[in-house]
Amino acid sequence: MKQLSEILKEVAFGSLSSGEAEMVIGWQKGPFWWQSFPAFITDPGGTGSLIWDPFSVSNLSKYLLKEVPEKKIALFLKGCDALGFNQMLRDGRVDREKVLLFGIPCDGLVDPARVEAAGLSKGLLQVKKEQEELIFYYKKGQRKAPARDFYYAKCLSCRYPNPVIYDQMLGEAVPCQPVERFADVSKLETTPLEERFSYWSRHFSRCIRCFACRNVCPACSCRECIFDLAEPRWLGKANELSETQFYHITRAYHVAGRCVDCGECARICPVGIPLAELNRKFIKDINELYGEYDAGADLDKEAPLLTFKTDDPDVSSGS
Amino acid sequence: MRRIGVFICWCGTNIANTVNIEGVTEAAGKMPSVIYADNYKYMCSEIGQSMIKEAIIKEKLDRVVVAACSPRMHELTFFKTAAAAGLNPYLVEIANIREHCSWVHKDKQEATGKAIALIRTAVAKAARNKELWATQIPVECRALVIGGGIGGIQAALDIADAGFEVDLVERTPSIGGRMAQLDKTFPTLDCSACILTPKMVEVASHHNITLYTFSEVEKVDGFVGNFEATIRKKARSIDLEKCTGCGICWEKCPSRVKSEFDEALVMRKAVYVPFPQAVPNVPVIDRASCRRFTREKCGICRKACPAGAVNYDQEDEVLQKKYGAIVVATGFDILDLDDFGEFSYGKHPDVLTSLEFERLVNSSGPTGGRLLRPSDQSPPKNVVFIQCVGSRDKSRGKPYCSKICCMYSAKHAILLREKYPEAQAYVFYIDIRTAGKDFEEFHRRAVEEYGALYLKGSVGKVFPDGDKLLVKGVDSLSGHAVEIEADMVVLAAAIKAKSDAPQLARLLGISTDTHSFFTEAHPKLRPVEAHTAGIFLAGACQGPKDIPETVSQASGAAAKAIILLSKDNLLSNPCVSEVNESLCTGCLSCIKVCPYGAVAEKTIEEKIHGKALKRRVAEVNEALCQGCGSCTVSCRPGAVNLKGFTNEQIMAEVDAICL
Repeated sequence: MKQLSEILKEVAFGSLSSGEAEMVIGWQKGPFWWQSFPAFITDPGGTGSLIWDPFSVSNLSKYLLKEVPEKKIALFLKGCDALGFNQMLRDGRVDREKVLLFGIPCDGLVDPARVEAAGLSKGLLQVKKEQEELIFYYKKGQRKAPARDFYYAKCLSCRYPNPVIYDQMLGEAVPCQPVERFADVSKLETTPLEERFSYWSRHFSRCIRCFACRNVCPACSCRECIFDLAEPRWLGKANELSETQFYHITRAYHVAGRCVDCGECARICPVGIPLAELNRKFIKDINELYGEYDAGADLDKEAPLLTFKTDDPDVSSGS
Repeated sequence: MRRIGVFICWCGTNIANTVNIEGVTEAAGKMPSVIYADNYKYMCSEIGQSMIKEAIIKEKLDRVVVAACSPRMHELTFFKTAAAAGLNPYLVEIANIREHCSWVHKDKQEATGKAIALIRTAVAKAARNKELWATQIPVECRALVIGGGIGGIQAALDIADAGFEVDLVERTPSIGGRMAQLDKTFPTLDCSACILTPKMVEVASHHNITLYTFSEVEKVDGFVGNFEATIRKKARSIDLEKCTGCGICWEKCPSRVKSEFDEALVMRKAVYVPFPQAVPNVPVIDRASCRRFTREKCGICRKACPAGAVNYDQEDEVLQKKYGAIVVATGFDILDLDDFGEFSYGKHPDVLTSLEFERLVNSSGPTGGRLLRPSDQSPPKNVVFIQCVGSRDKSRGKPYCSKICCMYSAKHAILLREKYPEAQAYVFYIDIRTAGKDFEEFHRRAVEEYGALYLKGSVGKVFPDGDKLLVKGVDSLSGHAVEIEADMVVLAAAIKAKSDAPQLARLLGISTDTHSFFTEAHPKLRPVEAHTAGIFLAGACQGPKDIPETVSQASGAAAKAIILLSKDNLLSNPCVSEVNESLCTGCLSCIKVCPYGAVAEKTIEEKIHGKALKRRVAEVNEALCQGCGSCTVSCRPGAVNLKGFTNEQIMAEVDAICL
């Protein structure tokens, strides 16, 4: 990890000082052990603060939408980020010519909640990863534990740990050992309708409509989201369960066939709504109906929901 | 504040019996922005329309809601009414309180409540209706006829005679179609070729008709009045201009393949004209069976051709042409009899389909018109005709009646007796259907004058028995099992749609029914029009038909095409999509889902942080857009809106129903 962190600083410095990029988007350490924030650096001298650590979870490519598209930007992509980047590319939201991509192989990132749950967070100053282990540093001494025990659930089911798109790959490709990702969906599918409804109603009733799930999503890249429009006002402002349900169902439909399953929506949700399950239900259905399709994995592959084929299973044979 | 008028129709008793009209009128009068509400027994009548016109003027109405029947019925009527009173027709909204309400409900109280809800919805939408204006679109004064059978020929001739250019595209090497395969035609027994070939010649020589044989329509873009078709002229390998049709090439050709025209009863050569009266009388080289192309050997036909017309290097030619109207006359096929093993078809050479029988009695057929058994070339004595093989058969065939079999089998029975006065025809039938002019008389003649023996019942099995065929069936009238020692068995195989009809339908943007026949716009009132404007149907591609019906429909389709072509301009539908560029994200999903190719990509320039930046957005071509709305539902940010059915209008409707 340390090595990769150094390489990252070097390439960032190189691309800024050579003028290849006008800005580098990377991660920077915050004041606490669990904070790794996006950093926007334009001065080669500032690249020393860039880091790559087990908390560099945010997908930096979404920030491209905020920047002036004329500017050439260098940024770092993990496997999941790369899928999201590709989807934005397919949606015409980023210009490939204007970005310099550094790929980072990533076998998983640490969920601070799991560290806390393991009772390791008190007095914790820093967490480092070495090989397959995490080292927890305290004022006095340190502790070690297997890294995989602390990974985000979304990382454990990751199928693309190595970026599918990059200009330069930093570090060695890592092996892929995903756990079955549709287990929760399959379980939900078999529960009775009323139970399923109350399951989602319970979750959605906690939604505070902060829209973080939308803001973080690489498939939610509209210039202006329909939920922000005043006319027509698709979404009422009242704190109504039906309105919240409408928001979440519409969001899931809008990303259907475009969701790259990066799991960011569920991760970012401050109240812990399992949004990825909703997305995965769509992915599972699309896979079953139209054959395996991974949004963002292969730009040459036609998107099933935007492609009409005469042998589509929902086309009746007679007409 | 809008000034909306609501007009509620009784539709005689159709609405008034189930809906409390007075109650609805009162409720409508209290709806937001409604300043006038009235009702009348027949709103579509002259008095009803005058009521609307007067109210528009007197009450200064700026929106009108008519609560009556389906907009498919009278929307246009009320549009004209409003226009006559000086109101833009697109400010009129119809609330369908007949089909959607009174006709489907029994309880008066509930139906009244629903009628009020429907009117409230229409009022909410009408308040957001905007003036829309139709534009003029020019018409390309040329017609495309697809299919060169009798339907296509008739349509092409009629349109051409009206003074318009026609391109007739036929897939096979010659025009003529199924009718060219027939011997005589019922109920008059005149010779099919004698009445067809003059028309074929007329097509070839008509100054307004361009004939594309051995050609296929590959793509059709555009819309009514302005279609653009891509036509592939397949390489004939023979120069149409040089060839004199002398026939030396096919005499010399060493390759033999089954003749499609003769229903595979005989062989043809690899270079061939399908039949002697073919138009054009120029052969084609069937490259799949020609030795020159399959083995790179041979070349005899080129050596033999005195005109130097053989050209192995000829390539397909692709044409793009514009048309105002399209007539589809692609005909039919015969049901494959693989599932009817009990009749021994394909296993015994003397079990034939009716079309094969037709070739065997035809003087241009493989036996020169001498009806002989394929097995031993002997004249048949007992011939069994089996009706409804695959027709009216839900389980193995088609549920519909093929319509022509009863009549052609009577004809075959007559022809058999005319050739061999000693011969006996047996016809197994379910019902005899002779609904046509002189049809019943013709059938009676077959029975009474020609001694055909009709047996109501089915055939269980046909066994080959020495050089004969043993037909085992049931005569259901007497209840007896019947056994007939036959020399020949003729099966009236069902008519089915062309196997590639669904593909053609997709290419043209027209619809097919469950049996892949093309669907007419209305079964009674618009029988020759397809659902897509500017496309017309002729003949058996729309459903089983005999020759007179096909010819009438073809002339009907031609008349409809002529009506269209004789207009200089058409009025466009103003209810088309538009893109709000500030909301458009440029994902271009709309381009992918548009069935009419009406959405395109465009680059716009806009200022961001003081810099002029380029950005891609979608753009709708209003002339191509048909207003289907697919793009609007594919647009996540709601940047595409369908005029007349905007997101705002539909949301207002939903709110009016739900809130």
